[in-house]
Amino acid sequence: MKKKKVLSSLLVAAMATSLLAGCGSSDKAPATDSAPADNTAASNTTDAPAEQTPTDTGDAAPAVEEQTLKVAAFEGGYGADMWTEVVAAFEASHPGVTVELTIDKKIEDVISPAMKAGDYPDVVHLATGREAALTETLTKEKALLPLTDVLDMNVPGENITVRDKIVPGFLDTLATNPYGDGVTYYAPMFYSPCGLFYNAGLFKEKGWDVPTTWDEMWGLADKAADEGIALFTYPTTGYFDAFTYAALASSGGADFFNSCMTYEDGIWESGEATKVFELIGQLAKYTEGTTVANANNDNFTKNQQLILDNKALFCPNGTWLPGEMAEAPRADGFEWGFMAIPSVNAGGSGCSFCWFEQMWIPAAAQNQDMAKEFVAYMYSDEAAQIFAKSTAIQPITGISDSLEGDNKMFYSIYDNGASAVMGGFASTAPVEGVNMLDTLCGTVNSIVSGDKTVAEWQAAVEEASDKLRAAME
Amino acid sequence: MKKVKERSIFITICVAPAVILFIIFMLIPTFNVFKMSLYKWGGYSNNKQFVGLNNFKILMEDTNFFRSFQNTVLLIVCVTIVTMALSLIFAAILSREKIKGQNFFRIIFYIPNILSVVVISAIFSAIYDPNSGLLNSIIAIFRGSEKTPILWLGDQKLVIYSLVIAMIWQAIGYYMVMYMASMASVPESLYESANLEGASRITQFFSITLPLIWTNVRTTLTFFVISSINLSFLIVKALTNGGPDGATEVFLSYMYKQAYTNSSYGYGMAIGVVVFLFSFGLSALINLVTKREPLEF
Repeated sequence: MKKKKVLSSLLVAAMATSLLAGCGSSDKAPATDSAPADNTAASNTTDAPAEQTPTDTGDAAPAVEEQTLKVAAFEGGYGADMWTEVVAAFEASHPGVTVELTIDKKIEDVISPAMKAGDYPDVVHLATGREAALTETLTKEKALLPLTDVLDMNVPGENITVRDKIVPGFLDTLATNPYGDGVTYYAPMFYSPCGLFYNAGLFKEKGWDVPTTWDEMWGLADKAADEGIALFTYPTTGYFDAFTYAALASSGGADFFNSCMTYEDGIWESGEATKVFELIGQLAKYTEGTTVANANNDNFTKNQQLILDNKALFCPNGTWLPGEMAEAPRADGFEWGFMAIPSVNAGGSGCSFCWFEQMWIPAAAQNQDMAKEFVAYMYSDEAAQIFAKSTAIQPITGISDSLEGDNKMFYSIYDNGASAVMGGFASTAPVEGVNMLDTLCGTVNSIVSGDKTVAEWQAAVEEASDKLRAAME
Repeated sequence: MKKVKERSIFITICVAPAVILFIIFMLIPTFNVFKMSLYKWGGYSNNKQFVGLNNFKILMEDTNFFRSFQNTVLLIVCVTIVTMALSLIFAAILSREKIKGQNFFRIIFYIPNILSVVVISAIFSAIYDPNSGLLNSIIAIFRGSEKTPILWLGDQKLVIYSLVIAMIWQAIGYYMVMYMASMASVPESLYESANLEGASRITQFFSITLPLIWTNVRTTLTFFVISSINLSFLIVKALTNGGPDGATEVFLSYMYKQAYTNSSYGYGMAIGVVVFLFSFGLSALINLVTKREPLEF
């Protein structure tokens, strides 16, 4: 009897200790460890170059400080390989630095638990506009490091500053300076022009001209309707940000666009904005009937497929579309065509929103100096070429020259007369229950299905804008 | 005396792991949700600003929240009523009647429950496809194929019922198995005497089966409330993501959008508190109104 009691006590004690052991946190971050290279590398962590023992290199060489840089990158359509390659190249050019690379398609889910516990990556490559909105949240919380001194640094191994290497215009936008105060917080990375995709083969076959104004567009809509082809479709309403930004800039110019993005009073009820709302309202009437039903995460490719099947003529998207649909079946003679959003005003130039991914440094990063060095390194020729191999194009002068085929056509859109639109809504303190992109873009579904009128939509956007303006500083 | 002390120490040690786990993983997080709902906070930085009940004040004026509230209530009511009725009928048939391939049906009904919600949403995406979907193809036989297709996931008045159907399909098997388990314990002699008295099968069901499994039915009602709230989030997330234009937004998907996409973690937690109180209150209410003297057999 007693034996049994002792035994069960032991078992309980074992359970209790294992419970406590599970809760213990491991503070043994490899930050200052000068352990051999192949230490605790997780599956996604790149190993440092093997056999790095700086003290063995002789007395003449300056002592190299061992440090670890934690980099988190979003694995987008360009794949993960380019990141491992760039990190290896960075380590090779920076002896003593070990980069711990975390890369994932849902990188915010991977890094945010540790971030909440205070363990931040040093560099993060993650664009705005994602559903989990990690980048926006940190911006709203003012938890990012200004990149001003990175821009004035020389690109590692080159005699040119980062600022001079970046294509002019990319650093003057709300997509790099989120507070609208001229201070850069996001480094512009891979960019992609957005516009309307169509089947160029179909236009040739039917002898139709690609419309350059909206009047021609409506004319074409009637012609296509006779053939049973709808004028327009969209993957999800999320794509209307790029579309609306371009249309706004085309309607009222760059300053007007910035006023919209900074929630100026009454701006969404101005004549220029009204033109854009009415334009989309008109476009909604010509939208393919099943689009709304498929405009969700599960089925958006069915909407994109409408272009390949010649069931709809135009679809707003970014240059990643042909890659995304590469395996999809298509009509005979299909050929990708790509154009800017036609001008809203008669005689004006077309506009194309330029979407780009961003890289930033959290203010809580441990290794900020090396993080800045890493960001600057992204703009070196060495890194840019590695990225360009995967068709990830950075805004570095001359890089897009290396493109071939369809991609060359996509990136030449700005050379053919379309003006580039860049930016996005200014960051404000969070306003509970108000989401501008949802109000501006999400409502398009209701316009197409007829559940809301354009006037209701416009009023809702202005109301959201009013609330957000109050939260700006 | 010593024995008693020893005994209580022993009991304390035995229950300690469970109590510690319960406190760490249940009580503290729940308490934190309540605490966070009083702050304006993005979720990451240290700038937490205490705003008292302001989050709840905003919530009371948030039409989008009320829309998600309505949708959730509609889902709970429709899913509960239909699922309960169907699974009771199927359970009664499968346990009382002699049908060929009973076990086969039991498995067939239970399979949706094993599938992950992502798979279910993919299946229903295919069923609801406007052009080539199963549902529209069948309907086209009766109304002709020239008519414009029904947009199961695109029509804002229809889409929430499309979710209801998916959720019912998913849940029936689980509840059916639960009802069957308790129906199996109803003594056969009761049915025999009812047969001798000439009671019909339907009378038997309402006078014998249902009263005797009533405790079980009550328990499942609470399950219905909780699982409708939780499952609707998963299905909405995978199938419509709250669209089109917020027509299928439910409690938890709206909470997610506010807490993360809109960077208002505190506000999201305030929604969490409302959901918590609502599901707690509703379960208590259901428990109260369904209270009967337990019948013994």
